[in-house]
Amino acid sequence: MNEESSDSTPVPDVAALRRRQPRFQGLEAGHRACLGCAQALAARLVLEAAGPDVAVANATGCLEVFTTPWPESAWRVPWVHSLFENAGAVASGLEAAFKAQGRAAKVLAFAGDGGTFDIGFQSLSGMIERHHDVLYVCYDNEAYMNTGVQRSSSTPHAAATTTSPAGRARLGKRHLKKDILSIVAAHHMPYAATASVAYPSDLRKKVRRAVAVEGPTFLLIHSPCPLGWGHDGSRSIEIARLAVESGLVPLIELERGELTGAMPIRAVRPVTDYLKAQARFRHLFADTPEAHRELEHLQALADHNIEVYGLRGAGADPRDTAGADTVRRGGARWA
Amino acid sequence: MSALTYTRGGIAAPGSTLTADTGSWRVQRPVHRHRPAPCHHACPAGEDPQAYLALLDAGRARAAWEVLVEANPLPAVTGRVCPHPCEQACNRGRLDAAVAIHHVERRLGDLALEEGWALPAVAPPRDAARVAIVGAGPAGLSCAWQLAGRGHRVTLFEAEAEAGGACAAAIPPYRLPRAALEGEIARLLALPGIDFEPRRRLGRDFGLEELRADYAAVFLAVGARRGRAWSIDGAVPSDLHAGLELLEEWIRVGSLPKPASAAVIGGGNTAMDLARVLKAGGVERVYVITHNGLPGPDVPAEDAMRALPREIEQARQEGVEILAHRGVRRLILRGERVVGVEMVHMKKLADDQGRLRRVAFDGTETVLHVDMVIPAVGEEVDPQGLESLLGGAAYIEVDDAGATVLPGVFAGGDATPHGGTVTAAVGAGRVAAEAIDRRLRGVDAAPEAPAEPIGIEGLNLAYYEPAPRAREEVLPVSERGGDAEIDRGLGPEQAAAEARRCLSCGECLACDNCFTLCPDAAVLKTRERAFDGSHYVFDYQFCKGCGLCAHECPCGFIEMVAEG
Ligand SMILES: Cc1cc2nc3c(=O)[nH]c(=O)nc-3n(C[C@H](O)[C@H](O)[C@H](O)COP(=O)(O)OP(=O)(O)OC[C@H]3O[C@@H](n4cnc5c(N)ncnc54)[C@H](O)[C@@H]3O)c2cc1C
Ligand SMILES: Cc1ncc(C[n+]2csc(CCOP(=O)(O)OP(=O)(O)O)c2C)c(N)n1
Ligand code: SF4
Ligand code: SF4
Ligand code: SF4
Repeated sequence: MNEESSDSTPVPDVAALRRRQPRFQGLEAGHRACLGCAQALAARLVLEAAGPDVAVANATGCLEVFTTPWPESAWRVPWVHSLFENAGAVASGLEAAFKAQGRAAKVLAFAGDGGTFDIGFQSLSGMIERHHDVLYVCYDNEAYMNTGVQRSSSTPHAAATTTSPAGRARLGKRHLKKDILSIVAAHHMPYAATASVAYPSDLRKKVRRAVAVEGPTFLLIHSPCPLGWGHDGSRSIEIARLAVESGLVPLIELERGELTGAMPIRAVRPVTDYLKAQARFRHLFADTPEAHRELEHLQALADHNIEVYGLRGAGADPRDTAGADTVRRGGARWA
Repeated sequence: MSALTYTRGGIAAPGSTLTADTGSWRVQRPVHRHRPAPCHHACPAGEDPQAYLALLDAGRARAAWEVLVEANPLPAVTGRVCPHPCEQACNRGRLDAAVAIHHVERRLGDLALEEGWALPAVAPPRDAARVAIVGAGPAGLSCAWQLAGRGHRVTLFEAEAEAGGACAAAIPPYRLPRAALEGEIARLLALPGIDFEPRRRLGRDFGLEELRADYAAVFLAVGARRGRAWSIDGAVPSDLHAGLELLEEWIRVGSLPKPASAAVIGGGNTAMDLARVLKAGGVERVYVITHNGLPGPDVPAEDAMRALPREIEQARQEGVEILAHRGVRRLILRGERVVGVEMVHMKKLADDQGRLRRVAFDGTETVLHVDMVIPAVGEEVDPQGLESLLGGAAYIEVDDAGATVLPGVFAGGDATPHGGTVTAAVGAGRVAAEAIDRRLRGVDAAPEAPAEPIGIEGLNLAYYEPAPRAREEVLPVSERGGDAEIDRGLGPEQAAAEARRCLSCGECLACDNCFTLCPDAAVLKTRERAFDGSHYVFDYQFCKGCGLCAHECPCGFIEMVAEG
């Protein structure tokens, strides 16, 4: 019967339809992100949840570049481009200005992992220390993607980038991924959390929670990058989900440094399920003792997360990794 | 690109990316494509359970029932007696347990009777073609419904006083309550395009050639009601009655033989129903002797007893003893009276050509003392009036569209070699009606072959939760024996929960995944028609063809096709 209904209905006026969408689109279509870019999706989801009464300070990076090809903008909220290194500072200034003007708009700071973990770190730290009422969102694609996939301090151990290539001397990045969440939380932070594009309802709930807090909050969103990670754009969600299900990316919430929430993993997947789906880890599947050791190392890192954050679920739970994305007719799963 | 406006201070009021054409990057595009669900593919009647489960899940029970009866006007009947191959095929069965499709079907059928919902009726036009249908069993009724729905006028001849065929005459009321059967039949016979002519028997009151002369087409749905001849090496007990005959008599007038013990021979529905009826009627020891095996996971379909597994299980609960993989070698007679049978172990094994044949194992003979032996070894077409078509064969041969060798004469159901179940009969009635309709309209083209069903690999299972299958209430053994229905079916909430368990294979679940997850906001949603796929619209101005929506569609409803 549905065959008929889709055939016999006249094609709607798509442009008019776009103006009547049931959810607020703060980031519109027509941006120039790569096919299947999870960062574009993550930003869209954040704005859907944060709503129209926000202003954004956006550090240099892919998001900033692909949303604002001169002279166009994909943003439907007030948006300023900061420098690479100072999204936290620009957001602080915006917030102080709004306060002085008596305006009620939540300020959001957006930056990539390079702009957060590395060069923008002191500006973020200052923003938190001064207790600005800003939600800082880091879109974590685990390298400097906009300039061609250079390693950042967020790049996971053993991942290959252009500046941490896999070769005879090293199997990808030598160092560990920086634990930015703990560092941020150590600022006596009211709210700091991780999220994933694979769990949009959870992501949006965390955005709403953070927006409601008066004071600095922080959200780290794991955002697969098809180009930099080496996977097909169609698989961005699947890969993000595998990262969570393996324990490599724990979905947690910290309040004042204390763990207050963790998404339990219903069925823990081996890290190899996640790693083998991406070219940046391809060298780990060579049949050499070094590669085996590195795989074991990454597995140990995942196991460590599972232990430290208590991620192993105790039976089926509607909010665990398998329950949180269950679909319902009519889209009822979406929080 | 829009002209730039420079405001005071020289800040550009930017143009919007909505003027861009990022769709031009695309090398493949997502399209919605319905694919038949395995349950639909497997249903002999041609029902599309996915479609009515979806409507029920959306809270639209009446619309669900209307979709259901488009294929099958007797859902309260088939929901009870069909062996439900749909559930065998159900993709959910590979995840946890199949959706209880037959229970939902039955629930919708019962609800329609409770609520008095009418079948959508079309009054036939004045010049409507007339079609004769012989036999008002499920095949004939189904064909009548489909023809009437297509604007033809039908005369339905039935030898008996009542319609229903084997469902009315032979299936015991404890598993097919007559209120359900009669309710659905009465509703159908009341349709304006159908003239019901009871007590009119082909071969006695009129002939096939008369029908061919007077009607634009003929559908033969006479069933197979004559017990096959049966003897063991020529030995026949004096009180021999075929199983079906006894069962029909019990249903008609309530009479039943009362030996101390009886052996029913055969492994089909007739054998099982008769054995249960005998047991409930006070026969102390009732045996069923069958060449076939008890159905089970490791028993190949061609070796398993043909009776429904549920019936076999209930019969055993009630104390019927099933002697599987056994054949009767000899009747032990005192005079012409049976005192026992000699049995031997048997199995179907492949011969040199790989064909399965029954092999008896010498040295495994045993004797069973019984007072009565009742063959229930199958039925064939009563040839009276059909000699020209049958030419001595047991069944009427037909092609895929139900056509016989005689132009304009069609057949279906138990009268053909492709019968055996009510749903097969309903399906045959529909297929023949479609062929007759094509013939009457002078359309040549055969219908398109149905598309391959979508397998579980076509779904994205990450999005479904395990959920236990609803369990029906069953009358305890101690309360059985009368006409009270044994299987009590599901309540409304349970049926709704089963509808919710459906994975919506090959059809949009309206889950919003594509709408939520497209990185390019290229999936839009209309508000007008929620709950089916038609209210998601791809905006090809912006879709880059990444394929993410297709990958994350739980139901396999989005397909990526190469750009031309
Ligand atoms: C005891 C028993 C139990 C069964 N249990 C099940 C079950 O659980 N599930 C299942 O799916 N199937 C079951 N079946 C099989 C099922 O009933 C049949 O497959 C189905 O009824 C066949 O439908 P039909 O319309 O082809 O023939 P029938 O139902 O046999 O109907 C044929 C009709 O044609 C009439 N007729 C015959 N000859 C003439 C004539 N010359 N002129 C005019 N009218 C004529 C007959 O009176 C009858 O009404 C069972 C059958 C039996 C006998
Ligand atoms: C001070 C400074 N150094 C270097 C650059 C060049 N640059 C622009 S974007 C970028 C990388 C951004 O990486 P990240 O923050 O991880 O975001 P992504 O592009 O990966 O989303 C760099 C190095 C710059 N714009 N400013
Ligand atoms: S899950 Fe639903 S659509 Fe799929 S086969 Fe089962 S009943 Fe049919
Ligand atoms: S996810 Fe969006 S951009 Fe990708 S193929 Fe689907 S509609 Fe197109
Ligand atoms: S993703 Fe969900 S809403 Fe989109 S087509 Fe598939 S089932 Fe329908």
